[in-house]
Amino acid sequence: MRRVIGGLVLATVVAVAVVTAAAAGALAATDKLVIWASEAQVPALLPMAQQFEKEYGIKVEVTEMGFGDIRSNFSVSAPTGEGPDLIVGAHDWVGEFARNGLVEPIEMSAAQRDAFTPVGLQGFTYGGKLYGVPYAIEAVALIYNKALVPTPPKTFDELLTVARKLTDRNKKRYGFLYPNNDAYHSFPLLSANGGYIFKFTGQGFDPKDIGLDNEGAIAGARLIQRLAVEGLVPKGTDYQTMEGLFLQGQVGMIMTGPWEIDNVKKAGIKYGVAKIPTFNGRVARPFVGAQGFMVNKFSPNKILAMEFLQKFIMTKEGQLAIWKVDPRIPALKAAFQEVASNADVAAFGASAADGIPMPNIPEMAAVWGALQDKLTLIVNGEQDPASAMKDAARQIRDTIAQAK
Amino acid sequence: MRTGAMTPAAPAPRGGPALAGVLWLKVLALGTLDALGAWAAARLWADGRVWPAVAMVAGLVATTWIFTSPRAYPMRYIWPGFVFFALLVIYPIGYTVAVAFTDYGTGHMLSKEQVIRQFETMTYEPEDASRFRFAAFQAPGGTLTLVMEESPGRWAVLEGGKVRPADPAADGLVDEDGDGLPDRMGSRQALAVAQLARRLAELRQMRWEWGDRILRMMSLRELGEARHAYRYDPASDTLTDTRTGTTYRPVEGYFTGEDGQRLEPGFVTYVGLDNFVRMVTDPAISRPFLRVFVWTFAWAALTVLLQFSAGLGLAVLLNDPRLKLRNLYRSVLILPYSVPAFISALMWVGLLNTEVGVINDFVRALGAGPIPWLQNPFWARVALFLVNLWLGYPYMMIITLGALQSIPSELYEAALVDGARPWDVFRSVTLPLLMIAVSPLLVGSFAFNFNNFNVIFLVTGGGPPMVGAQTPAGHTDILISYTYRLAFQGGQGTQFGFASAISIVIFLVVAILSAINFRMTGVFEKMSENV
Repeated sequence: MRRVIGGLVLATVVAVAVVTAAAAGALAATDKLVIWASEAQVPALLPMAQQFEKEYGIKVEVTEMGFGDIRSNFSVSAPTGEGPDLIVGAHDWVGEFARNGLVEPIEMSAAQRDAFTPVGLQGFTYGGKLYGVPYAIEAVALIYNKALVPTPPKTFDELLTVARKLTDRNKKRYGFLYPNNDAYHSFPLLSANGGYIFKFTGQGFDPKDIGLDNEGAIAGARLIQRLAVEGLVPKGTDYQTMEGLFLQGQVGMIMTGPWEIDNVKKAGIKYGVAKIPTFNGRVARPFVGAQGFMVNKFSPNKILAMEFLQKFIMTKEGQLAIWKVDPRIPALKAAFQEVASNADVAAFGASAADGIPMPNIPEMAAVWGALQDKLTLIVNGEQDPASAMKDAARQIRDTIAQAK
Repeated sequence: MRTGAMTPAAPAPRGGPALAGVLWLKVLALGTLDALGAWAAARLWADGRVWPAVAMVAGLVATTWIFTSPRAYPMRYIWPGFVFFALLVIYPIGYTVAVAFTDYGTGHMLSKEQVIRQFETMTYEPEDASRFRFAAFQAPGGTLTLVMEESPGRWAVLEGGKVRPADPAADGLVDEDGDGLPDRMGSRQALAVAQLARRLAELRQMRWEWGDRILRMMSLRELGEARHAYRYDPASDTLTDTRTGTTYRPVEGYFTGEDGQRLEPGFVTYVGLDNFVRMVTDPAISRPFLRVFVWTFAWAALTVLLQFSAGLGLAVLLNDPRLKLRNLYRSVLILPYSVPAFISALMWVGLLNTEVGVINDFVRALGAGPIPWLQNPFWARVALFLVNLWLGYPYMMIITLGALQSIPSELYEAALVDGARPWDVFRSVTLPLLMIAVSPLLVGSFAFNFNNFNVIFLVTGGGPPMVGAQTPAGHTDILISYTYRLAFQGGQGTQFGFASAISIVIFLVVAILSAINFRMTGVFEKMSENV
């Protein structure tokens, strides 16, 4: 009987193995293109996938994933060969990906480059090579509630006057709010008078040249502390607080990006978008972020992936299709001109034109935590702005020097 | 069905139709499992993962033997548990220990072989490189031939990895639409771009030697020239840049030149005790360590004390038969336990919001100014205790309720006869007997809270930051959250190797503390007295 059982097991093993091997063979024979995208772009990518499949006979699979998950999952899965062929992500991932050897450089002709807004391509450039095809750029600007602030202030002095008049913390009413311990949203104030994170050299960012402890950055930090200590932008104001109060019509002005517009419209707020006010007569320069498509270095389908990008993402039609579902500023000049009559696009576009690309070098990882912590200390009034910014710069320099 | 004694020698005739069905099911299940496993093992082997493949085969053989041999019958009960224990406990621990001695992390994600392969396939375009349009043709057998436009009016034929000048007459090349590329090549079939795309699997592998250059596919429409950028020499384990002649040797996980210049990407290397040494010698890490350690200890101890006191108090109340609607109270009080902790924690963050939080609305109504719950070190700690009390008291209440009900009522009657007052009864009867049952659980709770990453990370994120700290260290950071921030937000990307090293140290700390705790509570002695 035991022998019979053994024989039967063996027979089943053979049968199942033959079937799975056949199925595996069939799988390996068909090429397909896998794209990881987040919720915002998927509706635009699905029709493109269908069209690609019809024309080339190759299946395109669009997988929806949380924005941050794309970054972490891609890092882990690409080297094993299990990753997607294309990902949709932010330009500041490029440095880490390129350093880890996970993304493929993209070759564009001069004419193809000319079709894009330079800041979008700069964002995806690392070590002199381009690693992504941008489809949108974005930067923060001033969004104001017309019911409370009829005309947006042009300078920070004007903004302070408006804010003092409107703010009444007991009624939970505020003139101006922004997430004040968040490095990304605070950057325009630091940059206005000459603060920067890493110097942009044209080739890329120089991790040895840090400008967070110069006079300009410290002047910005003083303004940040003043706003908090005066109670205009209370300490601990986070994004949710700012967003929630603005959507309830309790806030005159906020500083954030085009991603918030949809919510503002839905809340029925009569809003306008303006440039961030000047500070000491100098233009505030927000971070410019670029969104785009990157090609997996380990993908066996790199040529197909490039074909997909050339056909859909590097064209006006493709960029407009994505803009309709993900309304940030199109990165292709032709597509931008098509939608520039939209007041929001024009205003955010103007803000981005003042901005500087957010550094994409991996050393940026040393910045976020350090700057965030020191900004918190400044906002909480626990440390003097000058010494806090000096601490931040020193911590970043030390961390970069130590990195292996 | 036959009943009675069955001897292992003659098991055959048991079993009617039902048993035969079960037998078939078993054969089918085992066979399927083995086949899938064998297939996976073959894939692993082909990928060069020898040990996982060996472990897979060994596991399959053992499973099949255990579930078919009567001699291994008792093993059938333990085996599934053992397999999961190996997969979910032993393997992760082993992996963590292995990673702790490497530099695995940002900059060192790939294996050395993968990195060498990347450099070997890397080509560069020489300054005078050109691109060429091409047409593709397919012979009846499926062989691909490419015809490239070398210069206007001059064609070259690419076949079998070689390039030769075209002879339009002999090759039967005809340009029908006058676009400069042939549209026909004898009897071969011309391929459109879309048809070409279907054969990409082979096209992307193709390289054509052309003098000292290589032609490769740049897009579905163009070929480009290139040269190999690097050459790897296995004998000396060096990489040579073919453009400059510079030699790179593997140093600290990077191919490094004489002048110290590193080639990216790097690879994973064994770094010995470096990660452990760094914890002690790097002042930026070790300086906040003591403060963090003291707070971690206080956090775990006070949390347990608070949770236990609250749980005990409620349990004593609920255990009193004079209390009406006891079941209702009990259900309501258990509610916080039934909501997932991370949801509760996030909800509390909202309630504690300085500007718009409900708690500060109450504070304002009482006439005080808003409390900076998450901005001030003291209040941030108070807030954490509050949240964790909410999350943890129901557990303590449940276990003490159970333990209270197991205390024999004769003891209480005896105490009553002796004229003890309620407080004396509680102190001399209830509490000691209760502690026997619950103190091991308190030790467990201490160990759990020592590593309670969720609450800290979700409520304060370790903040508010310490003034002057050179690492991401906050006033409410406990060891595990400090580790997480050092390894993943410390600014050097993700450092899995370093994180693994610290978690091993934390594991040792918790193990030692728990051992001491068990000793001090004397649990084992008391339990043995009781038996």
